[in-house]
Amino acid sequence: MKYLRTAFAAATAFTLITGTALAEPKTNLLHQWATGSDAQAIAKLGEMFTAKGGTWQQTSIAGHTANTLAKLRADVIAGNAPPAVQLKGPEIAEWNETGMTANLDDLAKAENWEKVVAPELLPVMKPTGNWVAAPMNIHRINWLWASPKVMKDAGVTEMPKTWAEFNAACDKIVASGKICISHSTADWTDSTVFEVVVYGQDLDLYKKAFVEGDVDAMRSDGMVKAFEQFRTMTSKYMDPGMNGRDWDTMSHLVGRGEAAFHIMGDWTIGLLTAGGFKEGTDYVCAQAPTDWGKPGFILNSDSVVFFKQKDPDYIEGQKLLASIILSPEFQTIFNQTKGSIPARLDVDLSNGFNPCQQLSQKDLQASIAAGTLVRSMAHNMTVPQKVRGAIMDSITEFVATPDMSAQDAANAMADAAEAQK
Amino acid sequence: MAEIAPDASFDPARPNPTGFDPEAAAATRRHFWSRFLVYAVLTLFAIVYLVPLLVVIFNSLREQSEIARNGLISVPRSFRFDAWAQAWGSYCVSGTCEGMKRNFFNSLAMTIPATIISTILGAMNGYILSKWRFRGSELIFNLMLLGVFMPGQISLMPWAFLLGKLGLTNSTYGLVLIHVVQGISFTTLFCRNFYVSIPDDLIKAARIDGAGFWRIFRKIILPLSPPILIVTVIWQFTGIWNEYLFGVVFTSGQQQPITAALVALTAGGTTARAYDVMSAAVLIGALPPLLIYLFGGKYFVRGLTQGAIK
Amino acid sequence: MSTHDLIVPAAAAAARPWRERLGTMVPILVLAPSIAASFIYVFVFTLWTLYISLSNSSLLPTYGFVGLDNYASLWANRRWNIAYTNLFLFSGFYIVGSMAVGLLLAIAIDQRVRGEAAWRTIFLYPLAVSFIVTGTVWSWLYNPVDGIQAFVRGLGWTDFSFALTANRNTAIYAVIITVIWQSSGFAMALFLAGLRSVDPDLVKAAQIDGASVFRTYRRVILPTIAPIFLAVAVIQIQFAIKTFDLVAALTRGGPGVSTTFPAIYVYDLMFQRGQIGEGAAAAMMMLAAVAVVLVPYSLWIVWRRRAEGRNG
Repeated sequence: MKYLRTAFAAATAFTLITGTALAEPKTNLLHQWATGSDAQAIAKLGEMFTAKGGTWQQTSIAGHTANTLAKLRADVIAGNAPPAVQLKGPEIAEWNETGMTANLDDLAKAENWEKVVAPELLPVMKPTGNWVAAPMNIHRINWLWASPKVMKDAGVTEMPKTWAEFNAACDKIVASGKICISHSTADWTDSTVFEVVVYGQDLDLYKKAFVEGDVDAMRSDGMVKAFEQFRTMTSKYMDPGMNGRDWDTMSHLVGRGEAAFHIMGDWTIGLLTAGGFKEGTDYVCAQAPTDWGKPGFILNSDSVVFFKQKDPDYIEGQKLLASIILSPEFQTIFNQTKGSIPARLDVDLSNGFNPCQQLSQKDLQASIAAGTLVRSMAHNMTVPQKVRGAIMDSITEFVATPDMSAQDAANAMADAAEAQK
Repeated sequence: MAEIAPDASFDPARPNPTGFDPEAAAATRRHFWSRFLVYAVLTLFAIVYLVPLLVVIFNSLREQSEIARNGLISVPRSFRFDAWAQAWGSYCVSGTCEGMKRNFFNSLAMTIPATIISTILGAMNGYILSKWRFRGSELIFNLMLLGVFMPGQISLMPWAFLLGKLGLTNSTYGLVLIHVVQGISFTTLFCRNFYVSIPDDLIKAARIDGAGFWRIFRKIILPLSPPILIVTVIWQFTGIWNEYLFGVVFTSGQQQPITAALVALTAGGTTARAYDVMSAAVLIGALPPLLIYLFGGKYFVRGLTQGAIK
Repeated sequence: MSTHDLIVPAAAAAARPWRERLGTMVPILVLAPSIAASFIYVFVFTLWTLYISLSNSSLLPTYGFVGLDNYASLWANRRWNIAYTNLFLFSGFYIVGSMAVGLLLAIAIDQRVRGEAAWRTIFLYPLAVSFIVTGTVWSWLYNPVDGIQAFVRGLGWTDFSFALTANRNTAIYAVIITVIWQSSGFAMALFLAGLRSVDPDLVKAAQIDGASVFRTYRRVILPTIAPIFLAVAVIQIQFAIKTFDLVAALTRGGPGVSTTFPAIYVYDLMFQRGQIGEGAAAAMMMLAAVAVVLVPYSLWIVWRRRAEGRNG
């Protein structure tokens, strides 16, 4: 009897020890990439995690971004924060302030993240000096996608470099009977095009208004001028079909040769590839127009934030997941599928990447050197969500209200943003 | 009690039986035109009501390439059940390629217990609040009634907190609890208003005979209840089955009910929309409540007027 | 109400044997869990939200008191004003529209038509379909590229235009048409049942007096089913205020912010934008909208009961 009890105690102790010593890494990633190439890209992450001996689980919530955030908030309030969540930009800092995020400094130091990750991302990933998030990629927003065929037919010989050239090209294209800008209206698509216009016209205005959230800059003459250019684009160069179109098919108009230009981030590569269109023949890419004659780059980055856990298995899983995300292998596979470029600057893009992606990496370096690199407001990399929401509301209202003046729009934007302070 | 009043409609113009006279002929003509008008109105509206359903049924049977060519609204020129099989068992949503079948069964596992429990509670509450009144029972009834009007967004975060405390997050049980609590208001309202119309003398007589609380419920109330219980079950079943917000926030991945999966499926991604599979998925998601209305609709209308509106 | 006779005075109860006393407790015991649940659900949840609406909560609920700041900021917001205006516009059209269609269909079916059950089923089935499914399918139909517009143009009417959801001024009507489609069957069912409960003798008497069909309905039948109008209105108004899924699936609040509804706005603030305090304030305003409808209605009910009490 006594012997039995000792044996039992020994067995229990053994399982306890081995249990902690051999924490089996597992994770559950909460994200919103539910379908298409996004889902494929994230599936790659799962495969690599499993291959390294981890137990992979994911919670993907499609549709409205609010659904993902509602889920996160509900989980946090319920007292079981998810181990890993896809979050970006200022949200990382906001959640960091709650004190619930995990600290990845040890891993970052061991793997030397500081040296390899693009410098512009560092303040986002370590809002108060500690690593709390792992960047997956860098998206470029200020892209101009074009149909060489439509341009040629209309007599446009080269890609417009300034907004004046752009308007001149559009006038020719509209005269030739084609759509100049293919667009599908929604708050984030309208805001994407608009921020590219502001950035291209006035770099300082962009930084003041959209990075710092300065209300006076939003009310300034420069903003009015940007809205005037935007009105020219929405009323003359976009077609009425922009209201009913799905965002995921708008780039196909360029691919099919029905529209000349399309202003959108580099995930367009994935959409065009899915539609069977080829770079060089069906579409070409270039930096969106700027009036200040330097390479420019509006940056957006997806990242994964880690929340503090009690279960050692999940803690172990966080380390493994973060390490995989920052590995050159994952950054390569993931970004080849997604159209973006690696968040690490030391990955060679000469193999398996699209020429547009290679150009993106080159322009990123050049814009860092020129001091023109900025983060994207429309894609939630700068101002807090509430300010961003107010700005985007006013932009999309401007598009939906053809008789709204540029001056009114600038004032409305400033007022809305001011109300959020 | 369950019988509705005999057909109370009337003939707008009755032909004169005493043979031909000009007035009667005019009346017959009027009669014809009024009948024509009635059927015309009904047919017109029936078309409007049926078109969306037909469009979805047709598209679930057409090939995607044909939909892309001929648009969404068109008679099928191709015919196959592939989309149904895909939507049910193999289409990729949210990282898994198992179609909607798991979500379908999740919804059943949530809806059936929640419907049964909330109906039983509603019947008991309605019975007490109509036949065993006590001081303050009207107040309690009104309190429960307020629940009918609570917007879901208000309760989202308190529920998150509560479910966390109870350890019921990310489980079907949590959703069952939510739907039972939120459903009590409706079921109690329906049942109470129905039971009020049962004569109190019946209860009194039974009490004099020595019948107690449960016996009266079993022997008198329950046998009279089917009309209202059918209404309650239909109302609860469709309401819970179709609920989206709580399903998407309080469950994830494998636990999600079908409405959440439907949104994931139709939200579209980076590839062209597969209208055929989406249509089949939409129909799979809508089928259970549709069947319930198809077979129970008659009783629903009948019971509703006896219970819900008073 | 004679049920009050069943109430047992407390003093008398005390004198009875325990078994019987337990018997009188049973109803309250059975009711207790429901009372507790409803109390928590209605009062605790609402009070909590009220408190949050007065706090400085942003990303997560916090409890620093800021008074009415959130309400002031809410009403200064253009989008919220659009949402509230939409709610009134929508509720008005929705209720009148679905009652009109429902009544028309109910009267038509009431004319001893053949295949009554089939007609009824056709008009009632949309009620079984979720708002998510309804919104999704109708968004396909409204889509100018794939839907009704494309279909009619395909028939040969090439400049036919039907793009309600594409224009900020008309998108709200697309939502209204869809909701009427979804819910007029419910109004029809209630009206039909009401028509069937009208005393046939009353109708006959009107006919003998030589009243036309139209007149009979207007003067005799409809007044007797007046309470049903009110019931339909109240049931639908609470649906209108809660409108969320339908708009989320149909227009996602667009174009622009033209079809924003209070429920969507609350959800956006609380979850997307991390402004829980202001979101809670918006939720309280939704409750206020409910109260605007509910309070007069319950007063009317009470008044009617009293009046009945006096007359009976």
